[in-house]
Amino acid sequence: MPKIAIDPVTRIEGHLRVEVQVEGGKVIDAWSSGTMWRGIELIVKGRDPREVWLLLSRICGV
Amino acid sequence: MRAVENALGIVIPDNARIIRNLITAIQFIQDHVIHFYHLHALDWVDVTSALKADPVKTASLQQSISNWQNSSFSYFRAVQNKIRTIVESGQLGLFASGYWGHPAYKLPPEANLMAVAHYLEALDWQRDIIKMHALLGAKNPHPQTYLVGGMSIPVDPNSQNAINAGSIAFMKEIARKALDFVENVYIPDLLAIASFYKEWTKIGGGVGSFLSYGEFQNDNISNTTNCWLPQGFIRNKDISKVENIDQHKITEDVVRAWYKYSDGDEKAKHPWSGETTANYTGPQPPYKFLQTDKKYSWVKAIRYDGLPVEVGPLARMVIAYVAGHNRVREVTDIVLRRLGVGIDALFSTLGRTAARGIETLIIAEMLPVWIDELAERIKAGDLRIHNGEKWEPSKWIKEAKGYGFHEAPRGALGHWVVIKDRLVANYQCVVPSGWNASPRDAAGQRGPYEEALINTPLIYPDKPLEVLRTIHSFDPCMACAIHVVDPNRNELIKVKVS
Repeated sequence: MPKIAIDPVTRIEGHLRVEVQVEGGKVIDAWSSGTMWRGIELIVKGRDPREVWLLLSRICGV
Repeated sequence: MRAVENALGIVIPDNARIIRNLITAIQFIQDHVIHFYHLHALDWVDVTSALKADPVKTASLQQSISNWQNSSFSYFRAVQNKIRTIVESGQLGLFASGYWGHPAYKLPPEANLMAVAHYLEALDWQRDIIKMHALLGAKNPHPQTYLVGGMSIPVDPNSQNAINAGSIAFMKEIARKALDFVENVYIPDLLAIASFYKEWTKIGGGVGSFLSYGEFQNDNISNTTNCWLPQGFIRNKDISKVENIDQHKITEDVVRAWYKYSDGDEKAKHPWSGETTANYTGPQPPYKFLQTDKKYSWVKAIRYDGLPVEVGPLARMVIAYVAGHNRVREVTDIVLRRLGVGIDALFSTLGRTAARGIETLIIAEMLPVWIDELAERIKAGDLRIHNGEKWEPSKWIKEAKGYGFHEAPRGALGHWVVIKDRLVANYQCVVPSGWNASPRDAAGQRGPYEEALINTPLIYPDKPLEVLRTIHSFDPCMACAIHVVDPNRNELIKVKVS
């Protein structure tokens, strides 16, 4: 009953880990793990609301 | 943008709405095509098998499925020689680390060669068509021309420094190229590849509940309740009705995520009262496996009405289909008929991938319509792109709260803002891959990726190509999916929704 981990999952944007439990040639359980965090919302606290869109759009370029 | 406009009660001009729709549209088209060819196709296409293809038969195959101009024997022979040079060099470059030769690959060599040729063509195509995004947004990614209250890019037929007749003609040409590629390359490839993998309409279904905030606005208010692709929620594959969204039903818990809630990790919190305090309890790297019976992710468990929910192209297409969107119904029915499968086939890995193609086609069809709409307004003398009535902070109420909904290519994106004394007091983003990649919740329900993987067949556990097919079908974008923490001040992020 092997358990396998794929880390990092490639051909995506960002960092993702997937663990799966395999039995009888099929996945019987799975876990998805985000392995990084973001801090972008903190940057805009205390700022002029008219400029937050410009900063927050940097969250993702794809 | 919409969150702040919502908080301040700002209505944008028509031209700004249309330009925003156009920027979003071209982004969707480019993003979906890149996803299909460059992030997902090699889960189905064996690059090395393309070397065994007969270029004459490949040319016939191409000519049989569309009118695309690159369909000659010599063209495919040249592509094959290019691949051979790469493979023989021993340095696979962009084709490295594939599970080449895996028995789960089922395309004949000629289909593989055709698809690899289009992989390379799509690289050039995407670079060209995104110039429209650069024209309207000043650059790509991260457009610069947005402005609270509208846009900052002027429209003026008499100015060289504005959107004028020349820019309209430029955009129309890009729209033509976009639709040409989607109609004659992407959709035919999608159907051709899918026809060899029909068993994948029974694999990878997932949680079966879907949410879309709605996008491509028909009106100018900050709520996305009146959109070309409708807002709504579908519960547990019940395609008899679309429910209206009540944003108060959006919650997050952290039983399995590396955070701590002040009154119990299992208590799901609405973003209004959200907290984000880091609490990493996982193993120290290097480690073999996560402690999946405890906390195991930086993504919180986002839920709607207590249910795990899928967002993205499949969610948008299913919701639009059930809501009676004419073009979505027509194209979806054609695709299902061509593959000889029923509507249930949409709830699968292949359904997710097909929905992305359907969406790309119908948006590419609308692109020239929306460009014309802008052109006609400019021609009629409407040059307004910004509503400055509430630009000055002195005109704002002392305390304002708002939320902004948007559909990104990968799914529902919500921003919540609290403005106090004319500054941002709190901000929170609940993003597409946060929904899809979410871990288990307090009730033990799996997130969409996790649920979709159950019963996936695996030929070789050490070469889990089949797992990647399903994960990639969601188009993960993890940078956005993770929550906020301030390790120095250990601050709580309180999210409030109006």
